[in-house]
Amino acid sequence: MTKAKAGAFLFRPYCKSLIAAAGIFAAVLPLRAGASTGPPPPGSYTLDHIQRVPAGIVLEGTRFPRALSRYTTGAITLLAFFYSYCVDPNGCPLAWDAFEKMREEIIARPGLHGRVRLVFISLDPAHDTPGMLMGFARRYEASASIVPWHFLTTYSNLFLKPVLRDMGEEISVDREASGGGGLVINHLPKVFLIDKRGFVREIYSNQSLDPAMILGDIKTLLLEESKAGGRKE
Amino acid sequence: MKGCGRYALIAAIIAAASAIVAPVARADETCLSPYTAALIKGQEAYLHVWTLGEKGVGDESDKLVTIDADPKSKTYGTVINSVSVGGRGEAHHMGFTDDRKYLWAGRLDDSKIFVFDVGTDPSRPRLVNTIADLTEKTGFVGPHTFYAIPGRMVIGSLSNNKTRDGVTGLAVYNNKGEFLSTHPIPTDNGGDGYGYDLAINPKKNVFLTSSFTGWNNYMTDLGKLIKDAEAMKHFGNTMVLWNLKSMQPEKIFSVPGAPLEIRWSLKEGDDWAITASALTSKLWLVSHDANDEWQAKEVGTIGDPAKIPLPVDISIAADAKTLWVNTFMDGTTHLFDISDPTKPVQIFEKVTGKQVNMISQSWDGKRVYITSSLLANWDKKGADNEQVLRAYDWDGKDLKLKFEVDFFAEKLGRPHHMKFSGPLKKASLDMPSGAASR
Repeated sequence: MTKAKAGAFLFRPYCKSLIAAAGIFAAVLPLRAGASTGPPPPGSYTLDHIQRVPAGIVLEGTRFPRALSRYTTGAITLLAFFYSYCVDPNGCPLAWDAFEKMREEIIARPGLHGRVRLVFISLDPAHDTPGMLMGFARRYEASASIVPWHFLTTYSNLFLKPVLRDMGEEISVDREASGGGGLVINHLPKVFLIDKRGFVREIYSNQSLDPAMILGDIKTLLLEESKAGGRKE
Repeated sequence: MKGCGRYALIAAIIAAASAIVAPVARADETCLSPYTAALIKGQEAYLHVWTLGEKGVGDESDKLVTIDADPKSKTYGTVINSVSVGGRGEAHHMGFTDDRKYLWAGRLDDSKIFVFDVGTDPSRPRLVNTIADLTEKTGFVGPHTFYAIPGRMVIGSLSNNKTRDGVTGLAVYNNKGEFLSTHPIPTDNGGDGYGYDLAINPKKNVFLTSSFTGWNNYMTDLGKLIKDAEAMKHFGNTMVLWNLKSMQPEKIFSVPGAPLEIRWSLKEGDDWAITASALTSKLWLVSHDANDEWQAKEVGTIGDPAKIPLPVDISIAADAKTLWVNTFMDGTTHLFDISDPTKPVQIFEKVTGKQVNMISQSWDGKRVYITSSLLANWDKKGADNEQVLRAYDWDGKDLKLKFEVDFFAEKLGRPHHMKFSGPLKKASLDMPSGAASR
């Protein structure tokens, strides 16, 4: 018996019954009436508690040390790592675009005022000093009471690396690309959505930085808070 | 990501103020999660092969074998590293984390998951974690597919610890290896609850799952299994369309005969996926219909279904024009023209082994790798039980053998799933000390 024949001998009786059994199903079986594959309604789904934001020391405006938790608890937080001279359109500027868009969305929704903050942490503390980053922060001062945007840095790589490692944001210097004089830091562009208690609840990459989806997730967290606290949204 | 040119961000900020988030390319290394970083679009440097230990062969343990795949290297085509994990637990599939630094590898029998660091030095992977709580946390058995999403791994399983049939589900772990949540595959409204592969289309906020069989069947000798009429009823006949954000099932498609690997088209603008049903030897397309509703449709035949060739793996080209299909029983590698995915046409076939299972191609489609083992208890016996990895060049007309590793002769075991790594300088994600504190 050839191999092919042997295979047919082994499987043929089964396959006939299998195909017959499969015939009882309709071709497509929707599980929910009107089901679509767009963003689900806020509050209709749960976001995992992916991890707690680690402890860390950061700097804002001055060299006075501040706990990272000051910027990741007490309000819903969107956090991303960046460096001020990064220009790859698929890197920091993409996160920056998303943050700008989210800032506009929040300003346009009074119910979100004061309930969401934006945080950038620099990947190059030697270049991005607290004083240097103040220049960025000032651009958004006018709307700080509605949606604050914090530009943070650290004392040095020694303080930065443990935070990066724990957040799963590993980086490297691209030596080839850095040869021209400017430092090039490879990193995955990730935006972390953090709840009021300091848990990462969603992580967006360059494949999923969709403001509508982020807004839905923020509303979902607020609904979750209101359920837990009995507060009406 | 890269940056180039200091202080230019200020210009970018100004532009960003009025910009909408740009549409993103659904890049892939033909079968990886679209969230995977550092795609290898040139020559792969290393081939990692998750290998089943075999009694009487070498140390008899399951192991991650690394082969030098760089033609310019002095050790090209040879085994350069092997990491044994201890015991034999039906080593099967693997998946990278989103940052491509770690490779998760599962075992279908004891449900252990081994995490290897392949980013620090891809020529010498290190076992850094063993996750042994999948069944305890989820009730699932047989972790099969490892699919990265940002900061997490979605694990598709094959079975459960109560009935050990194919009813199962998905589990989500964070990249530290901590359990997060479970998502059962539906058993109502026509769902059979069975699982196998999963594949995400982030742009459409959907993913698909397919269905195979449970522990009772995949751990049983094939000859014995096919004589058991009751056991043979327990194979999957469905695919499920899920809402990615909510992780809730939305539609069940009837796809008879154990639909296995799922591949989304990687071509920009496309929104369709293709799969092959193992037992019925058919190609199925999942796409939108004229009413913008997702549908599954049989679109092609692989070999002669009456001979049960058993298509076991597929590999889609980056341009979505062609699809490789391996059929286990006749040891044949097929190539289909799928430039019209509704009408696949076979354009090439070649016998590449006595039994062939997994098939992986390079991003440029010029190199194709195959392995021989399906499952320890389903592989052929005697002289037909060759256990090899074969590497081919594809010149558009023929597969030309470049090298072959005999896994029994090398005392390694049965080669199953393959993943690529790039050269060390590209793969390293470590920040050199002082680089950020000049």
